[in-house]
Amino acid sequence: MRVLLRKNPVDLLFLTITAIASATVLVLIAGILYVLFLKSSLAIEKFGILNFIFSTDWDPVRQIFGAATTLFGTAVTTILALFFAIPVAIGTAIFITEIAPNFMKGPIGIAIELLAAIPSIIYGMWGLFTLAPIMAEYIEPALQNTLGKVPLLGALFAGTPMGIDLFTASIILSIMIIPFTASIARDSFNLTPAIVKESAYAIGATKWEVVKNVILPYSKSGVFGGIILSLGRALGETMAVAFVLGNNHQISSSLFHAASTITVTLANEFTEADTDIYLSSLFYLALILFVMSFIALAVAKIFLLRAQKRYSA
Amino acid sequence: MNGLKELEAKQLNFYYSGKVHALKDINLPVYKNAVTALIGPSGCGKTTLLRCFNRMHDLYQGNKYGGEIIFKGGNILASEIDVIDLRSRIGMVFQKPTPFPMSIFDNIAYGLRIRGIKKKLELSQRVEKALNHAALWNEVKDKLQTNSYNLSGGQQQRLVIARALAVEPEVLLFDEPTSALDPISTGKIEELVVNLKDEVTIIIVTHNMQQAARISDWTGFMMLGDLIEFDKTDKIFTNPSQKLTEDYITGRFG
Amino acid sequence: MTREHIRKIQSFTALSLSTLAAVIGLVWLVFILGDIFVHGMGALKLSLFTKDPAPAGIEGGGLRNAFIGQLIITFFATLIGVPIGILGGTFLAEYARGKKIAQLISILSDIMVSVPSIVIGTFIYAIMVKPFGHFNGWAGAVALAIIMIPVVLRTTEDMLRLVPWTLREAAFALGAPYYKVIIQIVYRGASAGILTGILLSIARVAGETAPLLFTSFNNSFFSTNMNEPMASLTVTIFQYAMGPYDSWHSQAWAASLVITIFILVLTILGRIFIKWRFGNK
Repeated sequence: MRVLLRKNPVDLLFLTITAIASATVLVLIAGILYVLFLKSSLAIEKFGILNFIFSTDWDPVRQIFGAATTLFGTAVTTILALFFAIPVAIGTAIFITEIAPNFMKGPIGIAIELLAAIPSIIYGMWGLFTLAPIMAEYIEPALQNTLGKVPLLGALFAGTPMGIDLFTASIILSIMIIPFTASIARDSFNLTPAIVKESAYAIGATKWEVVKNVILPYSKSGVFGGIILSLGRALGETMAVAFVLGNNHQISSSLFHAASTITVTLANEFTEADTDIYLSSLFYLALILFVMSFIALAVAKIFLLRAQKRYSA
Repeated sequence: MNGLKELEAKQLNFYYSGKVHALKDINLPVYKNAVTALIGPSGCGKTTLLRCFNRMHDLYQGNKYGGEIIFKGGNILASEIDVIDLRSRIGMVFQKPTPFPMSIFDNIAYGLRIRGIKKKLELSQRVEKALNHAALWNEVKDKLQTNSYNLSGGQQQRLVIARALAVEPEVLLFDEPTSALDPISTGKIEELVVNLKDEVTIIIVTHNMQQAARISDWTGFMMLGDLIEFDKTDKIFTNPSQKLTEDYITGRFG
Repeated sequence: MTREHIRKIQSFTALSLSTLAAVIGLVWLVFILGDIFVHGMGALKLSLFTKDPAPAGIEGGGLRNAFIGQLIITFFATLIGVPIGILGGTFLAEYARGKKIAQLISILSDIMVSVPSIVIGTFIYAIMVKPFGHFNGWAGAVALAIIMIPVVLRTTEDMLRLVPWTLREAAFALGAPYYKVIIQIVYRGASAGILTGILLSIARVAGETAPLLFTSFNNSFFSTNMNEPMASLTVTIFQYAMGPYDSWHSQAWAASLVITIFILVLTILGRIFIKWRFGNK
């Protein structure tokens, strides 16, 4: 839609300035990739790629580093957080769009946005001082006495419940991502045209049947995008888990063990790294995290765009 | 021949959000196995009236009915009436085709499945019957498992009619069913509506006066929430008793 | 029991579970905010804002250094991030409207909004801390600015798109060059929306901790020198909460309360602005 002949020199100048400003986004992404790669090249040369990813060593004394323990912690906390958060988030979205009386819809929407606005450090500190003791004293012993007795499954709940472990960290992370997931699910549900919902009601469907058979299938790519977006956020979340994970570079089968994630390792060890290879290994972790979350977020974006496009047509 | 009354609105009033008085003291008989058309300028309340018959307004908060609509000797507006059952007996077709995001077969079978019909044979028989009724069977019989979005607009609308017919309703409500369709598809839908009246009672809201004249037996003319005149379609279009009706059908406004 | 009954019971059960889910979601909000409020109010004293920290383990003192440091870092981050964001968004919504490049940058910005902030911290460490040999306030400000840019850019783009094209055409018809149309007409029409974007981006970075850990680092002394390590509330909260002293813990709660209120007020203000400007949207 080119409307104007660009003869005015000031206009050309303004165009150039705005173009440069928008290009900063490209420069930043390229710059981050390049700098992280450059800084981790020492570790990449020494430990390789697959070797680094699958090595469980993280030994600053012997100067041997591998990412497996932190990748394990990142994966477990992320998956568990999604496992807890998704049902609550989708239920909340159903409540807001289909059940709540009109006068409640606005306030609940605001409350969820506020929950999303609370900074992660607050969640982390609250987790350390309030949630962790509750977990250690009540919830984790209760789980040990019930699910912990089940063969095989019991291994997940072994050990002394201290509250500073994978389980507590995952709960906090899930509380943090509920609002994101819920608000994207809500927006996707709202994309279902009223007339299609009505036509399901018009052949005598119950409200739940409309939700299950019309709204959910209609909005699945949006909801899926929202879940992947939450996954991307959970992967890279630092402060919410840094307080309650214990930064322990070990892989344990129990959820009641301290562990570490990429982000927690960076937060705790970056300023203490005293050798080049140590620092380079940390940059290597940062590079892996950047690439992983970038891919997750890009996939999420594709699904969300597809959901939008389908209904704007 | 006046026939039996399938439905009858008596002193029907309707308020949107408890405030806007959208229907005023409507008295309207709907005769069995006939097509009743509702016409009138935009905003006259014809769609609002139609949506009273299957209590569609209940889906939104704050709406209020007054008066009664008699169906099978009972008042369907009574609060103890089960709207889910009501809607399976009084079906509806909308302005735009509204296929669900599933295959052609599953769309038709949907209303049957939620009622607990699971047997493959019975399902496929009833799906075929419904598609036949909607004059769509020959066009889709080889692609029942494909996504319903692949059909054309006119086919989708007939699919939706078949879906409504599959649960064997006693009444079908049509809300401007051809407003999004091309003339050829419109012709097919009109033909279908006329053929269907042997089995179901039909109420159709239309913007198009010629359409009402072509397919309906009875016509109600509405304006600003009032039912101005209700009579045999021939009478309305040739010799209306109200001046307003005459002005409208001769195109002096609307 | 008839089929109808079973369906209705199913529906009721599923809807009740959804309602329960919403209640669970909201219970956390009340729990967390209530806890912050109760603990924070107990520790909130005037001296928190007027005094610098006492030596480790000794009672008393305050967090004046961290409050001021946080303000300075956020101020410079806003000064860097907001203009770039607004101008960048202008390019996407105006000069490059409808072009592939605009779409690409728009999508990449959305991704950048959610990229782990600690990664940005490591990036800035590499380019602004390591070369100078010491942590500094500028590094923290730039790290936060990088987080702000995509937020402001995307809101600006969206808000400018809401201004009807005919308004621009009307101005063109009077012979105005595009830059004047943008600055005098389009920006004015979108000002409430852009302001909201700025408020929300400040709210977003005001609580950021991870990108400051190894950029501006921390400083137990009062300092306004951006070339030196600079204290911030969030890093101080992390350090104090993980520390061994009760007096540190209560100050961390108080600081958390202040920061939470600040962010919630900004968020609500942002919402009010947008509502006031665009009605119930």
